[in-house]
Amino acid sequence: MVRRIEDLETLERLDRARDFIDHCYDHPLSLDQISEKACFSRYHFLRLFRQAFNKTPHQYLIERRIEKAKELLGGDELRVTDVCYEVGFQSLGSFSTLFHRYVGHAPIIYREKVKQREQAKRQVPGCFLVMYKLESA
Amino acid sequence: MIRRMSHATIFVNNQNEALEFYRDKLGFRVHTDAMVGEDFRWLTMCTEDDPDFELILMEPKPGMLMDDETSQQLRAIMNKGVLGAGVFNTDDCRGTYEELKAKGVKFIGEPAERPYGVEAVFKDNSGNWFSLTQPTEGN
Repeated sequence: MVRRIEDLETLERLDRARDFIDHCYDHPLSLDQISEKACFSRYHFLRLFRQAFNKTPHQYLIERRIEKAKELLGGDELRVTDVCYEVGFQSLGSFSTLFHRYVGHAPIIYREKVKQREQAKRQVPGCFLVMYKLESA
Repeated sequence: MIRRMSHATIFVNNQNEALEFYRDKLGFRVHTDAMVGEDFRWLTMCTEDDPDFELILMEPKPGMLMDDETSQQLRAIMNKGVLGAGVFNTDDCRGTYEELKAKGVKFIGEPAERPYGVEAVFKDNSGNWFSLTQPTEGN
């Protein structure tokens, strides 16, 4: 059983580190850099972060990058390779592997599926799109 | 002026099973079957004669429109067989009745004369009620 962190100051410091990831996810971030933002030693920070957010800072960073990648893959301005570097991954291989693990498809397949969904959506009456929150009113 | 109805929703237990029932037993064809959202399958069926009227087979499930409680309540009501009804027309009620019955469609009774034609009542595999009606001339 994980104990929740109740100390406000600790939570604020962890939030600061998380905000840092939110803003700088597209840069290569090390645990040292992130823990520095919270003014904790790296191991202490790692433990506290996991306790507070149920995931490691690294997992949080990856998720943030994947979310952004999904957003970019939904459009078609960037090639998959560009998306990979744009969201902060250093190699296409690890991007593809992680993307597949988190989303269930390779990035290129995901892009294809989004495109198909958008195409299919054109046949769905507005009342359903709005009712099922596939589009805002 | 409203001209006609083009789409109507039928709530079903399971889209795959409903698709099979409407296609293989009732003889409908799939009009559109596509994932529109991550978890939203747009599945509509139509009859051969009227591809402009789409029956939307929709599963009540938590997520976009309904919360857990609502979708469970809807499923419970659906499973009681007290929800939804519609009328399908045929040129030959007794013949179609035999044909569908042979395929395993559950009818509530035999075809019977009604003021407006010959009719038999059946349920789909989610418990929705339908009339199979052969209208008399002028109806």
